[in-house]
Amino acid sequence: MGHVKGLKCRECGREYPIEPIYVCEFCFGPLEAVYDYAKIKRALSRKSIERRPKTLWRYKELLPIDGEPQVGLNSGFTPLVKAENLAKFLGVKELYIKDDTVAHPTLSFKDRVVAVALTKAKEFGFDTVACASTGNLAHAVSAHGAKSGFNRFIFIPATLEQSKILASIVYEPNLVAVDGNYDDVNRLCSEIANKYRWAFVNINIRPFYAEGSKTIGFEIVEQLGWEAPDSIVVPCASGSLLTKVWKALKEFKEIGIIKEVETKIYGAQATGCSPISTAFKQGTDVIRPVKPNTIAKSLAIGNPADGYYALQAVRESGGAIEDVSDEEIIDAIKLLARTEGIFAETAGGVTLATYIKLLKEGKIDKKDCTVLCITGNGLKTAEVLDGKTAEVYHIKPNLASFEEALQRIKNKEGK
Amino acid sequence: MSELKKLRVRLTFPQELIKEPVLFRMAKKFDVMPNIRRARVTDTFGEMILELEGLEENLEQGINSLREQGVVVELIEGDIIE
Repeated sequence: MGHVKGLKCRECGREYPIEPIYVCEFCFGPLEAVYDYAKIKRALSRKSIERRPKTLWRYKELLPIDGEPQVGLNSGFTPLVKAENLAKFLGVKELYIKDDTVAHPTLSFKDRVVAVALTKAKEFGFDTVACASTGNLAHAVSAHGAKSGFNRFIFIPATLEQSKILASIVYEPNLVAVDGNYDDVNRLCSEIANKYRWAFVNINIRPFYAEGSKTIGFEIVEQLGWEAPDSIVVPCASGSLLTKVWKALKEFKEIGIIKEVETKIYGAQATGCSPISTAFKQGTDVIRPVKPNTIAKSLAIGNPADGYYALQAVRESGGAIEDVSDEEIIDAIKLLARTEGIFAETAGGVTLATYIKLLKEGKIDKKDCTVLCITGNGLKTAEVLDGKTAEVYHIKPNLASFEEALQRIKNKEGK
Repeated sequence: MSELKKLRVRLTFPQELIKEPVLFRMAKKFDVMPNIRRARVTDTFGEMILELEGLEENLEQGINSLREQGVVVELIEGDIIE
């Protein structure tokens, strides 16, 4: 038996049984999984966690499943890299990268949420899973769904670039390219999810799917020696990841795994799609939808479902939200690569660039122990660096030509 | 033959439309039935979560007319494409 009591509306508090539903019938508020923390407290301790395999399922009592994990048995527990070179460059005391660029199997944090969503889909008895995505989510559903034997329907906008399609179609899902703008695709998928008995991971399975993001928070605490850091910077698309990282810290406190949570949570957005950051800066809790225009496509959610709750989490923790330009994103991707040897996708650039901005604004203390959530691999969005990388030295196949290049390199380094 | 359809949406009203009976006019003109579940209105913004019921073409025309007036109409699920 699992440790989930049921689902509860985040707006009106009405309770529902554990079913593939996502919205309150009365107030249309989003539903969230509610746990029996007293029971979890008895079942889970630092020691029991430490004895388990190093995957996201080592925290299974705090995930919304009833039986044993069935999908993503190798996902999660990515490295927490102490970023000493980057810390030195930025003049900060203690900095870590939570490195989901090496998430198994599809190199983004979506492997976590999809592992949980598809395990739950198995428990519900679904034989078909689906999602609408332009990238990371499509890759994760395609791959995890292949391994766990689901029929898969992946919806993409017909204008999506070939390189992004390849990383999904290689797993041979039913890939459906919808001829229409983003609004049309959103609306069609909502209709399909309501008509067909499929597990649409981020629609009817969303209350379960979203909980998988908590594992980033759990892992950060465990990897820091069972301590919550002073600050965590989280990229915001729908806002779900940020709210769940915050929830993870509070849950660890609730069940006695850690004593205190004094962590400030910071949100990172691209200026070209910054509805949550805008609301934060305006001091309002109304998220005004925007039309995205940024290179950070994996964060380009103009109408974020959990934006309001992300704002609440940031304000409750005493953090802040900032946004950064496409140029700052590129610079940050390159900085992370040359200092720490980690190649992040554009969302990672957003997170690091936002951290740098928050440092400059004095909103994050240089003495803080800070963790940056780097959520996806740079090979997925390599095209954004076209023409913006360091110089390649082309030479003839002879020693003289090489030595000429070597001189140029030395001259450059001497500058 | 077109069927009755239900659509759950979030409307965001700009400041200049708060005093206007925008929803009532749309409902009457296009024969769309609004069923309001949640709303917040202040002097600077208005937000409403509701269900709209009507014939498919009427719903489409009604939503288009709201958008033309400056109301932001979005699915309550948020953006589904991630």
